Amino acid sequence: MVDRLDGLVPEMMLLALAVVVAVLGLSKASSIRRMVPLLTAGGLFVAAWLAWGGKDLPPESAGFLAPSLAASLRSMIAGVGGVLALVASGTVDRRLEHDVESGRMPFEPLRASRGEFYAFMLLSITGAMLVASASDLIWLFLALELTSLPTYVMVVMGRAGRRGAEASVKYFFLGAMATAMFLYGFALVYGGTGSMQLADIAEIVASRRNLEGLDMVTTAGFLLALLGVGYKLAAAPLHLYAMDVYEGASASVTAFLGFVPKAAGTIAFMVLLQTAGGESLPAMVVTLIWMLAVLTMSLGNMAALQQTNAKRLFGGSSIAHSGYLLIGLLAGPGEGWAATTFYLLVYGLMNTGVFAVLAALERRGSEVEQVSDLGALRHRHPALGWSLVACSGSLMGFPPLLGFVAKVWLFLAAVQSGHIALVVIAAINSAAGAWYYLRMMGMPLLGAEPSEPVEAAPSPWPARAAMAIGVLLLVVPFFADDLMVQTREAAAAAVMVLGS
Amino acid sequence: MIGSHLLSVLLAAGDTAHASDHGHHSAHFPVALPTEGLGYAGLVLALPLIAMILNGVYAISGVRSKLPAWTTVACLGTAFAVVLNLYLKADIEHPVVVPLFEWINLSWGTGAISAPFGLYLDSLTLLWMLFVTGLGTLIALYASEYMESDVGPAYCRFFGGVSIFLLAMGCLVMGDNLLTLYLGWEGVGFASYMLIGYHFTKPSAVAAAKKAFIVNRIGDLGLALGIYLTWLHFGTLEYSKLFEMLQADGAMAAAQQAMAGGWEVAIIPFLLMAGAFGKSAQLPFYIWLPDAMEGPTPVSALIHAATMVTAGVYLLVRTFPMLELHPAAAPTVAWVGGATALLAATIGMAQYDIKRVMAYSTVSQLGYMFMGVGVLSTFGAAAHVFTHAFFKAVLFLTCGAIMHGFAGQLDLRVLRGLRHVKGWRIVVWTMFYASLCLAGFPIISSGYWSKDVILAEAFANGRPILGGIGLLTAGLTAYYTFRVWFRVCCGPKPDDHDLAKMMGDDHHGDDHHDEGHGEEDHHHHMPHAPKWAVNLVLSVISLAAIGSILLVPEHGWLEHMVAKSSGAGGVGANHHDLPADAGFWADPHGWMKYVASTVGLLGMAVAAWLHLFNRSAADRLRATLLASPLKAVVRAMENKWYVDELYNALIRMPLKIKGHALHMLDRYVLDILVVDGLGRLPKMIGRTLSPLQNGVLQSYAASMAGGVILIALLILVLPMLLDLLGGAA
Repeated sequence: MVDRLDGLVPEMMLLALAVVVAVLGLSKASSIRRMVPLLTAGGLFVAAWLAWGGKDLPPESAGFLAPSLAASLRSMIAGVGGVLALVASGTVDRRLEHDVESGRMPFEPLRASRGEFYAFMLLSITGAMLVASASDLIWLFLALELTSLPTYVMVVMGRAGRRGAEASVKYFFLGAMATAMFLYGFALVYGGTGSMQLADIAEIVASRRNLEGLDMVTTAGFLLALLGVGYKLAAAPLHLYAMDVYEGASASVTAFLGFVPKAAGTIAFMVLLQTAGGESLPAMVVTLIWMLAVLTMSLGNMAALQQTNAKRLFGGSSIAHSGYLLIGLLAGPGEGWAATTFYLLVYGLMNTGVFAVLAALERRGSEVEQVSDLGALRHRHPALGWSLVACSGSLMGFPPLLGFVAKVWLFLAAVQSGHIALVVIAAINSAAGAWYYLRMMGMPLLGAEPSEPVEAAPSPWPARAAMAIGVLLLVVPFFADDLMVQTREAAAAAVMVLGS
Repeated sequence: MIGSHLLSVLLAAGDTAHASDHGHHSAHFPVALPTEGLGYAGLVLALPLIAMILNGVYAISGVRSKLPAWTTVACLGTAFAVVLNLYLKADIEHPVVVPLFEWINLSWGTGAISAPFGLYLDSLTLLWMLFVTGLGTLIALYASEYMESDVGPAYCRFFGGVSIFLLAMGCLVMGDNLLTLYLGWEGVGFASYMLIGYHFTKPSAVAAAKKAFIVNRIGDLGLALGIYLTWLHFGTLEYSKLFEMLQADGAMAAAQQAMAGGWEVAIIPFLLMAGAFGKSAQLPFYIWLPDAMEGPTPVSALIHAATMVTAGVYLLVRTFPMLELHPAAAPTVAWVGGATALLAATIGMAQYDIKRVMAYSTVSQLGYMFMGVGVLSTFGAAAHVFTHAFFKAVLFLTCGAIMHGFAGQLDLRVLRGLRHVKGWRIVVWTMFYASLCLAGFPIISSGYWSKDVILAEAFANGRPILGGIGLLTAGLTAYYTFRVWFRVCCGPKPDDHDLAKMMGDDHHGDDHHDEGHGEEDHHHHMPHAPKWAVNLVLSVISLAAIGSILLVPEHGWLEHMVAKSSGAGGVGANHHDLPADAGFWADPHGWMKYVASTVGLLGMAVAAWLHLFNRSAADRLRATLLASPLKAVVRAMENKWYVDELYNALIRMPLKIKGHALHMLDRYVLDILVVDGLGRLPKMIGRTLSPLQNGVLQSYAASMAGGVILIALLILVLPMLLDLLGGAA
């Protein structure tokens, strides 16, 4: 067991940082309080770097997923998490800080929630990273819960007032239902195989499938577990909460919800699929994921088509992207999961970029949400306008932006694994999605200026993050080969480890 | 090994009957090897890129001086110097590949596609780049004066466009694989579109730009498909590997490849051809080029006369070994070229706008070049590209100078006596020399030498009819060229009143009204003579045209350049060993000089008769012809054989009708039934699923649970049901 701790250094560091951050957030000195988001982001970047070093861990220190794959996943989550922390700076306690600064009232620790917010953020990211190291069902369950529980609170903290509370309650109750679902699934798997250890379960499942075929209990367990975890991904039919919650939460929290739980869900899918057979999945599981993918991307795109609210629109887009991720998951370990990992990273950046633009704007202290508010953004805030164009274009898969590279790789991997019909459906969906993405690209460039102008939010970090992501999306494609080779090597190593 | 050798010997033995068709098979040329040390060749691409970026910066920062022009001239001039240095340094005998960076590298399962971004430096590349960068520099210098009334953002846009063009042309010519060529191909198409539509507030310019772009797209589709099939069959797009494969097994490699690949391979040369015909304005795509004259004249000279339109010839010479994938490919090129040459020349005879005459003559001359490729004389084609680039640039630039000076006047019925006007001497005499070249005046004109090679090869290659068409066209060319010169430059000396009239508003059917001159011209109503930049550029390019005479003759520099490249198969291919006692008429290379000269001089004589000595005779002749049964022909020629109208009726109208029909379908069927229906569907589903309007959370939970149950049942129960049904059956 001590061996396992070697592989969890970044997570332990983040947990410690969560405590530190929670305390620092209560400091009387406003300069220290202002440092909290930067400290969080810095810690996450360090964790990303540490986690990347975990590629060469010995098997006894690693979880069920091969160390090379797990390391790239964990590093990616921490890295994007760092950007998310920057985007969230200025979200919490805005009114309190304003009052303190203007001298209207002294700083009251009881009213401050900034420290807790970033602590929760760190906890949730730690949870998502732990999913990648899961070695048994309990660990997997706890890690998923650690990912989700702080987010429920973050939704309500990020936005004072009724809308945040309503979104939070909705998210929590539906999440609890989904948790019950996959927990029931885990229980059935345990009942069917008699083991909690993922490695043992995988062995039992494989041998059983070779002999008499997989029993109904275990199969049902896997199906329920996958369906339940689908909630984290916002996969249909458990996607219904997404648009309401995304709209209700503040933009920076929405960015967080769009990535961290989704990453945790994707990794949990990888763990479960690996357990259920890896490259040769049971036919029922294949059918399930196939159906989920088709439903998710189609319903997501359809929902986004009619939106006039930018957050709801990108909520729909985020659902559709989960559908694409499911395609990659179905394409199998190796090329498929390498492409999925890469896509997840790219999606995380684009999605964060879009919401960072929204977080960087405000009008009389409240958030900018309507698509029409972004009209002619290029004139007043050129950097933000162009970032939005780059991110929307990338989400659409506009060459030569990074999203295009990622999508091509994902679809190629799926074609290679024989899921041609699925790729055709995905391509049709991509084309349908172009309709609203182009609207989002056109709005900041050609749209009419809103009657009441939008202003820049006080914190500079969301805007900086948005610009950095916009530049990355444009520049990285020219170096995408290296990234893809790295990811592919990680995945190939993972397959080798499993084979041995 | 021995078997394949035997096979090729046997096949060759059975092929002696067609020896003249296959004589070129034996030509071998060196295949390139990757090399280091010439990496600075990338500068040829980098410099226009820098110029482009700087012009963009100028535009944003609101530069209102001639800085963009000087920047562009400096960058392009340096690029020319680099090319010159490469020419001096590189070993022409052995082509080299200069890898710059990895561009595309995708692999999946067993398949892979890789396109390194590298430069293929052989004599053909250097030949093309020498005149492309050289003329680019000079014409940019000319434009610095020509465009001066637009100084400001539009000036930056113009020179930015020129830089983009040079960058793309560099990719096209220097790239070491077909994909890079395609990148450049589309790039020059874009630059052409951008510059034709330079006066974007003018509807005719916008229409011309769109026409050029759309017509080119049709050809480009062919090129794209050709490249795709090449990749599919050969597994690579890199020239060095392709050529190696095509000549791997000696003479029969191409034929064997074609046999092994079936029709998908046999069609490749035709697809490449489609691309070449589109870009180089050949039948049936040529209609875009005359309209492209809407662009500023330097653009017409650089892009639509000297360089871009020769990209098609470059493509076919570069991929010359691939033409052999189908026996009918080369003859097709030859016939299309010949037909275009003749058709365009007849139209050019009947035009009154001097710039349009030049445009049709470009189409016609490009036809000669394709005829050259088609009769397996890549040397002739390349030589004509080279000489034509200089003298046609001069012709366009002089037209531009006239248009600039005379407030947009281009009608040869109005202009006259330029010879006697002060300050126009250089324009008049450079135009005279360039006209001699275009007309193929013996010995002292460069066009004479290059055109003769093509015509002689046509006869030597056993295509006398094609050669005859070429000769006829040569006569027509000489006529219409000097028609322009005699009309515009000769004639009675115009006094101030006449000059003012030429500047006046009574233009006949020309729409270049407001190009390239400032408002003040309207006030004093006198033509202004060109200044130093225009005169300098005209003189330098004319000197280059004279100099090119030295390079063209057989066994000269140009032949050497082509012989060491992938076009080697078409150099000296048709020089048969003639018996010593063969008569004068046995070798077309011998008698063509005399025949072609005679035809050219005849054309010039007719022009001189009708337009110099009897300036009113032309109108009388026209009137007589219009009264005679030949009137339909004359009208058709004046109306460009109604080709635009034909395309309009055959292609544009049906597409328009289809478009309207689809629009109706979309508006009245799809919108109402599908889109609105689908739009209502979620609402209807929502209404059925959530009867409790304020219980959103509960309804979500219910829908989620329902969905999960539905899916689980579907997956778990459906197979069982199917099993049961299967068992029952």
